Amino acid sequence: MSRIFITGIGIITSIGNSTEENRVALMNGVCGISNKTKYPSKYSGVLPFGEIALSNDELKSSLNIHDESVTRATLLSVHAFEEAIKDARLSSKEISDSAFINATTVGGMSETEELYHDISATQNASPFISSYDVSAPTVFMQKHYGIKDFANTINTACSSSANAIMLGARLIKNGFVNKAIVGGVDCLSKMTINGFNALQILSDEVCKPFDADRKGLNLGEGAAFLVLEKEEDCANKKIYAEVKGYGNANDAFHASSISDNGDGPFLAMQTALDVAQLNADEIDFINAHGTATENNDLTESRAMLRLFKNVPRFVSVKANIGHTLGAAGVIGAAYSALSIAYQEVYPALNFKNKIEEPGLVPNLQYEQKSLKHVMANAFGFGGNCTSLILSKV
Amino acid sequence: MLYIHQSYCISPQQTFMNVDWNVLHEAMDNKLKVVEPAYENIPRNVLRRMGKSVRIGVGAAFPIINEIKNIAGIIIGTATAGKEDSFTFLKQVMDYDEGLLTPTNFVQSTSNAIAAQIGMLSANKFYNITHVHKGLAFENAMFDAAMQLKENPQHDYLLGGVDEISDDDFNLNNLAGWYKKEIVSNKDLYESNSSGSLAGEGSAMFLINDKKENAAAKVVAIKTLFTKDEEEIKQQTKELISENKIDVFISGENGDNRLQRFYNACESLLEEDIAIVHFKHLCGEYPTTTAFATFLACDILQKQSIPNIVIKKSTDKTSFGNILIYNNYQGEQHSFILISKA
Repeated sequence: MSRIFITGIGIITSIGNSTEENRVALMNGVCGISNKTKYPSKYSGVLPFGEIALSNDELKSSLNIHDESVTRATLLSVHAFEEAIKDARLSSKEISDSAFINATTVGGMSETEELYHDISATQNASPFISSYDVSAPTVFMQKHYGIKDFANTINTACSSSANAIMLGARLIKNGFVNKAIVGGVDCLSKMTINGFNALQILSDEVCKPFDADRKGLNLGEGAAFLVLEKEEDCANKKIYAEVKGYGNANDAFHASSISDNGDGPFLAMQTALDVAQLNADEIDFINAHGTATENNDLTESRAMLRLFKNVPRFVSVKANIGHTLGAAGVIGAAYSALSIAYQEVYPALNFKNKIEEPGLVPNLQYEQKSLKHVMANAFGFGGNCTSLILSKV
Repeated sequence: MLYIHQSYCISPQQTFMNVDWNVLHEAMDNKLKVVEPAYENIPRNVLRRMGKSVRIGVGAAFPIINEIKNIAGIIIGTATAGKEDSFTFLKQVMDYDEGLLTPTNFVQSTSNAIAAQIGMLSANKFYNITHVHKGLAFENAMFDAAMQLKENPQHDYLLGGVDEISDDDFNLNNLAGWYKKEIVSNKDLYESNSSGSLAGEGSAMFLINDKKENAAAKVVAIKTLFTKDEEEIKQQTKELISENKIDVFISGENGDNRLQRFYNACESLLEEDIAIVHFKHLCGEYPTTTAFATFLACDILQKQSIPNIVIKKSTDKTSFGNILIYNNYQGEQHSFILISKA
């Protein structure tokens, strides 16, 4: 079976509107989370968020999309998708023949005011009437790019886009397509802000992944897409990394928290190693899920300690961009691909004291480092855990 | 591609456990709602906290997960799971101006709640995924399942398609023009000659693997298309019927006169002796109706007889080997599923 390479990356987050801007910000330890946000929620200015500076109008005009049914989730998706396909220099024919897999948890439901109106209206539907579904960004882009064959939308909560990458890689390996464009999106929404607030896991300060004094997560928004291609189609192409392994497992414990010993995370990482045919000690670096909640960081640490005799260096970028929910998996994978391509690791922010029991310390400095295999984790509600392994080519 | 060994369906008709195609339960206010079983095996305290889609999903999966241990993956297609909780939570957010809320509805608002709950109830820690691509959610789940079997031969998988009607989602689809404006009986669905259809819901679960022995049916092909052009649908139909001798054509026609041209285009290509079956007067319209159609196809193949209630055009044939399902969701998402005798 063919090896699968990442040949294009597109990213938009609160620390940058492009892959290069994101990389520079990561190298410099930039944090995009702040209380100065524009999103119209009661919690804007009260709680910190990782908001993307570009407004919907700015995105529409830069993307030349003037359809009033288009939601922010779709605009962020198109923005990142455009960068990814240009980066991989795909022709429009190659795009329309690719599999396209998008992943999101909220999709167009972030347009809260209009949705609130439309669910009880008997007439005068808002322009967003057919745009709320989680599949709506995918369907819009299918039309926009003429993608006719395989398109899909996945929702496994916060591991959604890691599963999009896994599915895309499997479609190519099984010979159904030659290329896959895979990723995900989620934007700030009153639903998620109030939901995580009701769960009492939103921090009122910038989050501190893996720190003993962590107070919870910050929500962020973002979108990222990767272009996956077969090795034989990549002659003369820029290659960031190989998609070497993937593992999807379920924690089967609780709707919104991970089991004490991190069974789901452990099994996802173990399965990814099995698929990659690697031993645990061959992993050089981990982009951890690291949401900075009490539960996640402790159970993820325990799972890492169960799997690795010596836990590799690791970081959680949630302290840079917040938790981008359905997009978190692909953004973590994209950052991992950059680490491999540039042989460098990015520093963890806001870390002071290790959690006593696992006693793990994240990577604290930017450094040039020889990296062969990097793991990226994404875990979600419903116990859905996925781990990916990207490797140097 | 894959063999279906067991199938269970909770639908608006009598399809769960004691299947009876002789009675037609009628639609109320253009909605065909599921007949729910007693869920005797599910702990009451767990059942109470489930939304409807989770309940009917778990309910139809239960006979399978109860009997078959070590299922290698739970693969669900759904477009509406979690929507009722999402909208309930959204209304609380807005009505209480982002005040202090309880998180119950929010936690249950993600589409993966069905697969997650089945995983939890069966302590299944393996592959677990939820495909949500609207009218192709079940097809994409089935495709994923077929790929899993290719990658992991000799394993069992649970495949399902689940959707529910919730008041708010009904309103959104109604406002978008997908349900009939006038009250229509499901008995008269295909004669209504107006736009829109009846709302429906249901859950169908399948135990699948790659073993032919004792299988109920075999899924031979799954094709999905995204188009508004009926010529492309004709082309795909021609390809499938020239490669396979079809005995029964299951049409996803739903009484929406804007979409009938696609179904007519397919039917016009069928040979005279092919039986034509339709089913949406039984289950209504929803994104994963092809899971219901797959259940019906398994029933026809196993019993080697077509229930009268679904016959649109009868046939003199007495044995049925190949069944082609064609469905179209909201005019753009099309699918073909070819199911054969195992």
